[in-house]
Amino acid sequence: MQHESPLTRVGRALVPLAWVGPAVALIGVVVVWPVVVMIQSSFLEISRFGVVRGSNGVDNYAKLFAEPDFGGVMVRSLVWVVAVVALTVLISLALAQLFNQRFPLRNVARWALIAPWAASVLMTAIIFKWMLDPEVGFVNMVLHDLGLLDAMGGAGADPLGNASTAFPWLIFVAVFVSVPFTTYALLAGLSTIPADVYEAARMDGASRARIYWSITLPMLRPALTVAMLINVMNVFNNFPIIWAMTHGQPGYSTATSTIFMFILKGSDIGESAAMSVVNFGMVVVLVIVFLKVSRWKSEVA
Amino acid sequence: MNKKYAGAAAFGLAAALVLTGCGSGSGGEGGGGDAAAGGQVTLKMVAADYGDGPTAANSGDKFWKSVVDEFQAANPNIKVDVQVINWNDIDKQVATMVQNGQAPDILQTGDYSGFVQDGLLYKVNEVLSPATQSDLLEKFADFGKVDGTGYGIPFVSSARALFYNKDLFTKAGIAEPPKTWDELKADAEKLKASGVSQPFGLPLGAEEAQAESFLWFMGNGGGYKDASGNWAIDSPQNVETFNFLKGLVDAGLTTPNPGTKDRKVVWEDFGAGKVGMVNGGPMSIPIFEKGGLKNFGVVPIPGKTGPLSTTLGVQDWIMAFNKNGHAAEIKKFFDFFYSGDAAQRISDTYKLLPVTKSGIEKLSSDQNLKPFLDALPNATFYPFTDPKWSEVNTQIKQTIGGAVTGDPAQVLGAIQKTAAG
Repeated sequence: MQHESPLTRVGRALVPLAWVGPAVALIGVVVVWPVVVMIQSSFLEISRFGVVRGSNGVDNYAKLFAEPDFGGVMVRSLVWVVAVVALTVLISLALAQLFNQRFPLRNVARWALIAPWAASVLMTAIIFKWMLDPEVGFVNMVLHDLGLLDAMGGAGADPLGNASTAFPWLIFVAVFVSVPFTTYALLAGLSTIPADVYEAARMDGASRARIYWSITLPMLRPALTVAMLINVMNVFNNFPIIWAMTHGQPGYSTATSTIFMFILKGSDIGESAAMSVVNFGMVVVLVIVFLKVSRWKSEVA
Repeated sequence: MNKKYAGAAAFGLAAALVLTGCGSGSGGEGGGGDAAAGGQVTLKMVAADYGDGPTAANSGDKFWKSVVDEFQAANPNIKVDVQVINWNDIDKQVATMVQNGQAPDILQTGDYSGFVQDGLLYKVNEVLSPATQSDLLEKFADFGKVDGTGYGIPFVSSARALFYNKDLFTKAGIAEPPKTWDELKADAEKLKASGVSQPFGLPLGAEEAQAESFLWFMGNGGGYKDASGNWAIDSPQNVETFNFLKGLVDAGLTTPNPGTKDRKVVWEDFGAGKVGMVNGGPMSIPIFEKGGLKNFGVVPIPGKTGPLSTTLGVQDWIMAFNKNGHAAEIKKFFDFFYSGDAAQRISDTYKLLPVTKSGIEKLSSDQNLKPFLDALPNATFYPFTDPKWSEVNTQIKQTIGGAVTGDPAQVLGAIQKTAAG
């Protein structure tokens, strides 16, 4: 091997490219390239009709940050992510525990849980919008029949028309579509915990709560971390639920950053690209913070 | 060793090809019609869907296919590729095409003015014969001009009037439809008392808040711009108008939370007999009839002191892009479209109004359309040739509904700031 020529050495160094090459190419085309174009666009002056009129410096960002609704939209995005992910994880932990028990028709119940996941998110959102329709919505009809609602067709029968009632409904729908995946991820995690650990704990006389807190949760951490991370990104970038159900209205009072970005696209593409960059940065920061926090936890435990 | 090296090189090459392939795909020149062998020219056309979506019997795809088939039979050397896009997406998709250098040859949509400034369009007289040009209604064709030169060709139009449910009016004991705001409010109260949940349908949501607001502004002598052409969105008349509307909303006489309701939903509610009165156009008649409502009346829209002498005219446009240099072929297609029965078929299928003198004559016997045809010559249009309009329009759609829940002066003032600032 001492007499290996430099060319052969280069050749050998390139071999791994055969294996990582396709993946790198795919990531380059599908991930890196759009990000580059997005960042470029955010510094260009682009008319609503798509005509690039040249560089715009940082004006797009200046205009974006000066939007009166910008602050509210960003705060709402954070509330949206934290609320949806926290609720989803809490519900999924309980459901995963339930579905990990043996009971009759367990498989049927497990399959049923897949339904909201298998259906298109947009479809689910539109169905909920219909169910909440002030004139003919199913939910309102039930409330009306129960005597909880005075009349159909009025403001009382229009939960989506008012931010204070619309936002909780949006969060509910987002949780509804996020729970199946999260539950299954946690269920997979639960099944990897060996039975003898539990047996040992029971022999030592540990209470059920104690077992859950000291064995189940710590051993579930890898699955929990992955599930939460994917949820954080998905929920932050979620567009169809809010768009289909409220359009971000009234005003911008139910709009998150992705909705705001899409609305801006109708008037100023450059500013919309700037919003995309801010959005992208926000996701990256959220993910880094989340990973930091979860690693710190594992060191303490 | 050598084999592996070759494999690696092949992968690297493949990766490079994929990357460059993508690069030229998004940044390259617009394809469209290369005049290939035999002198065959392909015109790429993008059109908005006036129907109920791709699967409906009245879909834009089916309509255009029938037009194009006839045209291609008569002009074997010209092929027309039509892509139909729904109204919600067409502007954004066309913007993407233009941004990527893939503009179509022909575009049919709601606005043309934004392309003129950048020199993307053919002038009207380059792509339309004098005979067709002189058949277009002057007032409409004039709106297709920027600085005296025509770029946008009127395609179809519509006007607005007040629809009322005759059965509900009879039940509430109202003999005549309202002519003034006071009458409208009194009638709404009677309708409410007789159990109608939405006496007046008020869609101020994102779909078309700019139209509903404009109709109300007109009733008080207001509008988006004043007589001298300056933005006047927070004028005293407009603020007074929204104070009146706020009164209606607070009294529960309208659609609940109007700022979140789209016109389609409100029209469907009217068709279902849940709404007493609503502003609509010929294009809403099929929606009403689909909902089962037959017994409705159409009258001019009430203003503060009397019915409107004008109405909102909306016209859509067709235009030709000059990038691929197909003026002669485009001219053939346009003349075919306007001189044949295609334009009239649009009016019949979608209840839209024609933009040609000959087209109006053909429809003049239709009683359902008469109030609208009468209103057309005196219609008022959006200030859409103003470069600020698209931004203002976006903000109106999203926020003007807040003026019936919050402070009208403040909400309209914020929009005025966008327009004038």
